[in-house]
Amino acid sequence: MSEVTSPAVAGPAAGTVLDRPVMSVDDVSVGFGPKTVLNGIGLPIERGSITALIGPTGCGKSTLLRSLNRMNDKIRGYWRRGRIELEGQDVADSSTDLLSLRRRVGMVFQRPNPFPMSIRDNVVAGVRAHGMASRSELTDVAERYLKEVSLWGAVADRLGDSPFRLSGGQQQLLCLARSLAVEPDVLLLDEPTSSLDPVTTEIVEDLLRNLVPDVTIVIVTHNLAQAKRVSNTTAFLYNGHLVEAGETSQIFDNPEQPETVSYIGGRIG
Amino acid sequence: MTVGATVSKTDTDLPTAAPSQSGGGGGGPDPGAHDPSGGGPAGPGAGQEKWWRGERLGPQVLRVVTHLPLIVLVLIMAALIWKAIPAIRYNGFGFFGRSVWNFGNLYAPILHTHGVAHPPGALYGALPLILGTIGSSAIAMVLALPVGVGTALVVVEKLPPRLSYGIGFCLEILAGVPSVVIGLWGFLTLGPFLMHHVATLWANHVPDVPVLRFFRGPTGNGQGLLTSGVILAMMIVPIIAATTRDLLRQVPRGTVEGAVALGMTDAEAANTVTIPWVRSGVIGASMLGLGRALGETIAVAMVSGVLVGSPIRSLYSAFSTIAATIVSQLDGAFTDASGLAVATLAELALVLLVITLLANVGARLLVRRVATTALPVGRGI
Repeated sequence: MSEVTSPAVAGPAAGTVLDRPVMSVDDVSVGFGPKTVLNGIGLPIERGSITALIGPTGCGKSTLLRSLNRMNDKIRGYWRRGRIELEGQDVADSSTDLLSLRRRVGMVFQRPNPFPMSIRDNVVAGVRAHGMASRSELTDVAERYLKEVSLWGAVADRLGDSPFRLSGGQQQLLCLARSLAVEPDVLLLDEPTSSLDPVTTEIVEDLLRNLVPDVTIVIVTHNLAQAKRVSNTTAFLYNGHLVEAGETSQIFDNPEQPETVSYIGGRIG
Repeated sequence: MTVGATVSKTDTDLPTAAPSQSGGGGGGPDPGAHDPSGGGPAGPGAGQEKWWRGERLGPQVLRVVTHLPLIVLVLIMAALIWKAIPAIRYNGFGFFGRSVWNFGNLYAPILHTHGVAHPPGALYGALPLILGTIGSSAIAMVLALPVGVGTALVVVEKLPPRLSYGIGFCLEILAGVPSVVIGLWGFLTLGPFLMHHVATLWANHVPDVPVLRFFRGPTGNGQGLLTSGVILAMMIVPIIAATTRDLLRQVPRGTVEGAVALGMTDAEAANTVTIPWVRSGVIGASMLGLGRALGETIAVAMVSGVLVGSPIRSLYSAFSTIAATIVSQLDGAFTDASGLAVATLAELALVLLVITLLANVGARLLVRRVATTALPVGRGI
């Protein structure tokens, strides 16, 4: 990845860059106006891993996820305390370029949200905005990423068509291709499969496994089985607190906290 | 008129058909006769049902109502063509190429040419009127489209809800200001200000070369093409802004967020999502505005200078539109005993109708073209 080879990020101990978490959340509290949504969250996001955020509705998973690429910035009354770092630099730091932060930390949403333009243009929309490829290369870029998400076969002969004619699952794959096309370091997924059929869900999960370790993935999910299937690390949030975080097998098989036991056992949430 | 009679008849029939029967019982003391449609098996009047109570009345009324717009349009067209026939024969195709407006000698004996009665020396040409109509509307569109869309964008995206509500309210009020009021204000205040203080900033500095020459010249007393265009723009900005605002509110948040999450600037996100999403609707709203601008009569008659029969020399010169000409010439036209002047106004009205229809058809085609690419509301989806 670019930041590994780039001398700019070579800090005091250049050799340890790979061992350092790509992102870290350190004692972060977040809220809107008088309401506090997250309380003192601390969570390292290991490079090249899949981190699952689980917890009942309203526990703050999505808010945490959206804080990572500053999607909450425009929401009225949003505030944040503590540090959220990408490669050691706070995402809200004045020297952080918001646009390139969002390129490096991509996001896929719960509901497919294709742009009102052709399928091909959808895939390369971000590539175009960041000037990452010349005009003549765009179709190749679109093809590469449509193949990566296993959508190429279904849309190869209708790249100029409206994405709204695709099924919901195909639309979501298209949105994934769009996010991957800007070559993010971290990909945030907010319940990406909650509106998808089992087959597409499986495609997405396979894709996520293939993406690591090149891309670091943080996934919010309500589907505990999915968290168990795809993630290396699981963090359980409850009422705005990080109750427990650790290796997925440990969280599911030997949870330490009583709330985690209850949630995983289906007694709360 | 026949049409009017049909309308009032169906209007009065509708209420009788539906609720009043259930109370009155339609003459039947049987409480089972509550169903006004007469479908009840126990209904005593099932066989001798009056035609206006039947189930078939609804569809028939609907069929008439459905075809009313078409009928009205055809009737208007037919009436105009009928009235305009003498003028069409007398004026010929030269009507569209001449810049002249002459009733002829109304005191001399009436002559006959091609079987059309006319005063000697009568000569009409609609070229400056057609150009004036299209030109003033074009100026209005050029000004109103960015302002209207920009207003809507600011109201929806930037302003706090309370202020945005207030401005939206003002827009609706502005849309409802009678055109005669705007026209009078344009005549008294806006026109003189525009021509004396604004247009003078560039009118004398534009180079005297073809095309650009049109923007050069004396700015006059305040009545003219530019003032009319601005006045018309003021009238259609609320239409465009209010429609665009409603369209913008329907743009799905999640899709805009998708663009922002890719690292696009607000402007790029608007270009990628918001504008394509609302484009065909905005074109529709613009065409609504254009229709109003093309047909706007009294305000233009007040600020155009009503210069009929003389070519438009510059952006500031007095001119006239078809609509303003009809309203300003109608009185005088009736003094032409041969009827040619009135027939010519009918021909003008026909031309205006055709221009408006063409604008509408063009808008349809445009909407269809931009909607095909990707909109969820586009063709075939």
